[in-house]
Amino acid sequence: MSVVWTQVALAGLWGGFVALERKAFLQAMLSRPLVASTVMGALLNDVPSGLAVGLLLELFFLGTANLGAALPENDTLAATGTSAAAATLTAATGAGSTPAIWSLAVLLFIGLGRVGRRGDRLLEGYTARLARVALSSAEAGNLTRAMRQNLWGMWPHFVLYGALTSLCALAGYFVEPLLEALPPAVVRGLAWAWPAMASVAAAIAAQGSHARRAPLYAALGAAAVTVAVVFVLLQEHR
Amino acid sequence: MSAPPDSPLSAWVLLRVFLRSLFLQASWNPKGMQNLGLAYALFPALERLYPAGPAREEAVRRHLVFFNTHPYVAAAIVGGVVNHELRISRGEESPDKVVAFKAALMGPLAALGDGFFWLSLKPAVGAVSAALVPLLGVWAVPVFLVLYNLVHVLLRVRLYWLGLTLGDRLVEAVARANLPARGARLRTVAAACAGGLAAWLAVNFGANAGGAHAPLLAAGCLALGVASYVLVSRRVPNYVVLYLVAGLACAAGAFL
Repeated sequence: MSVVWTQVALAGLWGGFVALERKAFLQAMLSRPLVASTVMGALLNDVPSGLAVGLLLELFFLGTANLGAALPENDTLAATGTSAAAATLTAATGAGSTPAIWSLAVLLFIGLGRVGRRGDRLLEGYTARLARVALSSAEAGNLTRAMRQNLWGMWPHFVLYGALTSLCALAGYFVEPLLEALPPAVVRGLAWAWPAMASVAAAIAAQGSHARRAPLYAALGAAAVTVAVVFVLLQEHR
Repeated sequence: MSAPPDSPLSAWVLLRVFLRSLFLQASWNPKGMQNLGLAYALFPALERLYPAGPAREEAVRRHLVFFNTHPYVAAAIVGGVVNHELRISRGEESPDKVVAFKAALMGPLAALGDGFFWLSLKPAVGAVSAALVPLLGVWAVPVFLVLYNLVHVLLRVRLYWLGLTLGDRLVEAVARANLPARGARLRTVAAACAGGLAAWLAVNFGANAGGAHAPLLAAGCLALGVASYVLVSRRVPNYVVLYLVAGLACAAGAFL
């Protein structure tokens, strides 16, 4: 196993950038799991892992929202950390990206959403201090210093979440021996777990859609797709 | 972006205010929430409207008080505040008016923005794009960004302009957009796409992994999806459901 440090650094830079984009700046949804993970995959030369992880996490976290002062789980950290780990794990195996790798990465790193929420809460102490400095500076007539405090609120997010994402990328290399040691039956089980988890994440997404009659619309969508796919499969078998 | 007539604020200053409003939550804090971001966004306009000294300091201080709304819809309030500050600087109204304007609008606009953007547009575009992954692959990602930001950026610019030009009257213009009804339709789209994708993943999984067991596996996966929906509706944590399903699928994969 040899760690590619440029990949670890790239993962950290992207993880830090999207951590800022998530709340502090713009919010153009670059930080959504589908986007953040796929770009992470592209940066680490493993688009399939990024896309697969991003699809599952996008659905899993579809219903989360940052409403008022409530802090939701940090879906961005979960996405960047999991996709970075999946990509480096794939690189460490020396073979291609597989559903077993995606499942293992998701099962090991999806909890980062909760870690990120604790991090967000922790950083609020720092921004509260910045607000106090801004108010006292404005009272003292130093308006330029008061205004500058707003931008100082961003760097801890970049550093903290960038570092955590880098650690996840690094962890991917160290998980590889664990994957190698697993019996083939368990690896097959992990491969089966990915579509099952993604399907369940989609069901969770339907529940998190906040639609008034979500079960009805989800069932209609599911019925239409099932009929279409079965029809196509039957046509192919003829 | 052109300045309103008779305005001492150039188009460049108005553009700077808008661009700085994109950093509204850079120092979001539990006490003042978006107060630093609002003052930061408005500062280029306040610099032009008030001479250095007590008048400018007082103008900045009145925007360092508690402020919290939806970050996109805040563009309307930022524009409206510039409109009010323009009149205050000319002596046409008292500073109380701008404080009352912010206090009156931030709550209702937050509810409107949360309901439309966070609880409708984001899940709808996310679910549509995720559903497009089997068809478009990686191109579903640019589709996501374009679909979402077409609405997001256009509405943000439009709301800023409405605030800037209409001031207090922006409420009627925002009400005409009928965002709650549009949001309800988007949530329906999100639910249907998520249901469709769940079925596609289940059926495709059965077909790819199952061999002779294909219909059984696909039906089992679909049943797990329905069971997950019910469990999550009954407040079973999402993580518990996900790990439970992963365990079942692992066991099935290992022993079947």
